[in-house]
Amino acid sequence: MTLLKILVVDDDPVTRTLLAKRLIREAYTVDTAEDGRVALEKLARQLYDVVLTDLIMPGGMDGIGVLEAAKRINIKTEVVLITAHASVDNAIEAMKKGAADYLQKPINFDELFLRLDKIRNLKMLIKNALDLGEAMDVTEKRSAETIQNLEIMVAGLNGRLATIKTVLLKEEMAPETRILFALDRLNE
Amino acid sequence: MLKIKPEEIKVLSNYIYNVSGISIDASKAYLLETRFGKLLEEEGCQSYGEFYRKAKSDTHRTLERKIIDAITTNETLFFRDTNPFELLRHKIMPEIIDNRSGRGITNLKIWSSACSTGQELYSIAIILKELLSRNRTHKISLLGTDLSDAAVAQASAGTYNKFEIERGLPREKLHHYFTPAGGNWKIKDEIRAMATFQHMNLMQPFVGLGKFDIIFCRNVAIYFTLQDRKKLFEKIAHALLPDGYLLIGSTESLTGICPQFVPKRHLRSIYYQLQ
Repeated sequence: MTLLKILVVDDDPVTRTLLAKRLIREAYTVDTAEDGRVALEKLARQLYDVVLTDLIMPGGMDGIGVLEAAKRINIKTEVVLITAHASVDNAIEAMKKGAADYLQKPINFDELFLRLDKIRNLKMLIKNALDLGEAMDVTEKRSAETIQNLEIMVAGLNGRLATIKTVLLKEEMAPETRILFALDRLNE
Repeated sequence: MLKIKPEEIKVLSNYIYNVSGISIDASKAYLLETRFGKLLEEEGCQSYGEFYRKAKSDTHRTLERKIIDAITTNETLFFRDTNPFELLRHKIMPEIIDNRSGRGITNLKIWSSACSTGQELYSIAIILKELLSRNRTHKISLLGTDLSDAAVAQASAGTYNKFEIERGLPREKLHHYFTPAGGNWKIKDEIRAMATFQHMNLMQPFVGLGKFDIIFCRNVAIYFTLQDRKKLFEKIAHALLPDGYLLIGSTESLTGICPQFVPKRHLRSIYYQLQ
């Protein structure tokens, strides 16, 4: 799996730029949005693995709004909220609504990268499980066809062998006739 | 995680075989470690030998039950491999209804012999509900049995989390037959009431079960030795009515296992009937 594609949403240009820079340096693919509305437009246009959004933003759509919109557009998009100490309770509420995680300001970048690694690992595990399930499904279907065909074929052959045995044991018939009958059954 | 020693593999596999009939290949030692690692810790055992002795000496069989819960594979989903359910809806049930017509109210008995957490039996119940909603001439009893007490308990509760619910269940059936229950989904009473679940070890004699019209025995015999598979299907043959139907897993075969059963094909499915 390639590195995550991240949308950074923050109304503060300094934080937004800093976050984007640090993430790009770690080789993540990064896009930014200055408020909820722009974030929503970008989310509608392309897929992001992770949305990293400030919880409190002006302009009608806060972090919770971004979270709900992101999840509505693609349930697989994970949302990490950035929150001031005072709004931790809101962040926990957000996690109940499906946020993957939250970080407290000031942002500790090591912590951020660890959280992103965790999200990436989880996404990889889910993908592996789905791939395995799919592979098992295909294998099961193919082998089921083969086994079921063989099952019917063997049952048919067994039936024919039983008839041949009965014919061959018919003492009232001349041996040559029995053999001819048996051959007939074989050629059916 | 604590490593299992070669001599312990043998002792523990034998024990598991004796209590469950599940045959574990010596090459699958990792399976013992991954499935029992946590239980070993909870029980405070320092080795797999100690774990075995503790299980063996527990007269209440509490640890034995936990071991069975841990070793049984509960892989299942609603309408797993849709074919058997299509077969039930379009072939078996119409045939049974036809055969029994004119006999007044008939009792129809169906058994899901390794029901795991109940998805198979509830899938059957849903189909019967849809087929027989206006037909009052059939009294239906659905039995689900499983070796694992934990699986039977979940089946009885009829509650499934969102992962279990998402697997195999069409959305319209979900809303029709389940109600939300605190983040989970619970099977509706009308379906729940059709089914009975109980613990049962298929290796032991079938006692008090009576005879069934349809038996589902899917993807369980694969865990048994060839000899035990033969014994199992022999018993199943006795538990099936003369015109009854047996369904096994899509990749399973009865060739060389039980000559009493004849395979029959309908579209993409195979079912078995007694000779």
